[in-house]
Amino acid sequence: MDITREVLEFLYREAELLDEGRYREWLSLTTEDVLYQVPVRLTRERPPEGGYGGVSERMFHLDEDRTSLEMRVARLETGFAWAEDPPSRLRHFVTNVRVGEPKPTERGEEVEVRSNLLVFRSRWDRPEYTFLSAERRDLLRRENGTWKLARRVVILDQSTLPTHNLSFFL
Amino acid sequence: MGSGKTAKGMERVPRLLRELAEGLEEGLVPAGILNDPEIFELEKERIFSRSWIYLAHASEVPSPGDYVLRYILNNAFIVVRGEDGQVRAFLDMCRHRGMRVCRAEAGNASHFRCPFHGWTYRNDGTLVGVPAEREAFGEGFNKAEWGLVPIPKLAEFDGLIFGNLDPEAPSLEAWLGDARWYLELVTKRSPQGLEVLGPPQRFVVNTDWKLALETFISDSYHTLMTHRSMIELGIAPRDAKYAMYGEQIHIPGKGHGTMVVGGPPGAKLPPFWGYPEEMMERARTSYPTREQWEVARETRIFLITLFPNFSLHNPIRKPDHRYPTPVPMLTFRVWHPLGPGRIEIFSWGMVEKDAPEWFKEKARHSYLRFFGSSGTFEQDDTEIWSHVAQNAGSTLGRRLRFNYQMGQNVAPDPNWPGPGVAYPINFTDENLRNFYRRYLELMLG
Ligand code: FES
Ligand SMILES: [Fe+2]
Repeated sequence: MDITREVLEFLYREAELLDEGRYREWLSLTTEDVLYQVPVRLTRERPPEGGYGGVSERMFHLDEDRTSLEMRVARLETGFAWAEDPPSRLRHFVTNVRVGEPKPTERGEEVEVRSNLLVFRSRWDRPEYTFLSAERRDLLRRENGTWKLARRVVILDQSTLPTHNLSFFL
Repeated sequence: MGSGKTAKGMERVPRLLRELAEGLEEGLVPAGILNDPEIFELEKERIFSRSWIYLAHASEVPSPGDYVLRYILNNAFIVVRGEDGQVRAFLDMCRHRGMRVCRAEAGNASHFRCPFHGWTYRNDGTLVGVPAEREAFGEGFNKAEWGLVPIPKLAEFDGLIFGNLDPEAPSLEAWLGDARWYLELVTKRSPQGLEVLGPPQRFVVNTDWKLALETFISDSYHTLMTHRSMIELGIAPRDAKYAMYGEQIHIPGKGHGTMVVGGPPGAKLPPFWGYPEEMMERARTSYPTREQWEVARETRIFLITLFPNFSLHNPIRKPDHRYPTPVPMLTFRVWHPLGPGRIEIFSWGMVEKDAPEWFKEKARHSYLRFFGSSGTFEQDDTEIWSHVAQNAGSTLGRRLRFNYQMGQNVAPDPNWPGPGVAYPINFTDENLRNFYRRYLELMLG
């Protein structure tokens, strides 16, 4: 199959699991050495070298490895994780997918993928909702024939989060 | 809030404050003070325009020209270190016609140039450049009168930088009073002091600033249910009453409060929060008094709230549920009021400057996984606080009185070695009753 098609299928499948709260299955889409980061965004002056800057290298909203992701998932399963119980109604919209050149590495075939993300969140019976907009910078790795998430850096488009917590995955 | 200032609203405020004053010593607090536009208007004037408010840590602006942008109410301040090494804070508002002169949340600048007409200020606030000065304003124009407006008061305690909008305010030292002894348990743990692990996380919660600070000043009682998920996972101690132990201490007349929690009886927890041996050794000689060292050695969970809206939390923790040894975390936060029933949390991860590098990295993880915007403890706190605030703002709900009666029958602990009034249990609302005594004093004054 064409690689772009494979990557799209991976991202859509992943979004489905996140939207439906099937977090154990979602975890199984990540590699053992996965790195999952959401850096703090900052308003900064335009950097002379171009680009937008303002992505903190020191502080994050989430800076996770497989063990801590698993802890977060296990927490949601306790029945006492009030932030997500009742669960938020989430919808992950993944667009503008840009697939890099796949490269063979000693860990397996890897490909960098960038995409745009819009997450809708609604809680309880209030009509208000939250949107989070971001760019995802992913690294996918082929393990035993299937793609897995080996790294994700989520570049949020807001410096101050409009939501009272990040109790879900982006 | 123009439309809210109805005659009805204005009589509601004195009624609510009277209700608070009459009920407080019986442990009754009117829900109506927790999400009300008129109360908030008065808090802006009587509390936030007169109190020492935390702005920044010195380590956020380590070098000349370093600045961060911070807020008291809706006033933006540039907190900047001048070329002379002095930290100052200026209203981020051009003296000419009011444009913001600082275009970033943090950075380094020798000058701030206004994008509107180009007035330029040195980082010590002095106006040094006015385009076409002579042609536009004539020979007699005195730039010295048109520097950036400094914050009325600015002071630093062990790297913690506070500002005050009231030029008549008492000194920061007097404001802190005996809370200093407890702050030093953190700020003087190492001779080098603290540093930020990075910029603050900032996120908005639909709640009242007074609700947010409750769990950081007094309400240990919530841990057994709010944080039950973490107990189930074995991350919080198995003894669900773990936060009950230890001492709850308030500083009378100041509103500040602290919780000093040791290990649950029988629990085998390492001393001194579980900090590495070398940090513990440094602390032994770094603390100003032996009593502070002895209290710190037995501490596992430690919280302080300084009136009105600064808190710190310093618990023993692990970076994740599999990690073999404890790595305590330290967070500073400001419960920044945005409006009635709405706050922004500024949450920082902190660590000792001279901590080993591996420890700094792990302490950052401990902080991120448990507190702040994605923290697995704090997520549940913010969820719950927002519902309480919503209820407190409802037409019927705001007439209820909340129960702050816990621990009213407990006598102070005469043997506690530190200053303030100490109670030998943390399942008490005493610190909140003390907080509201101070609150009333300012709101009525
Ligand atoms: S408003 Fe700044 S120069 Fe005019
Ligand atoms: Fe809590």
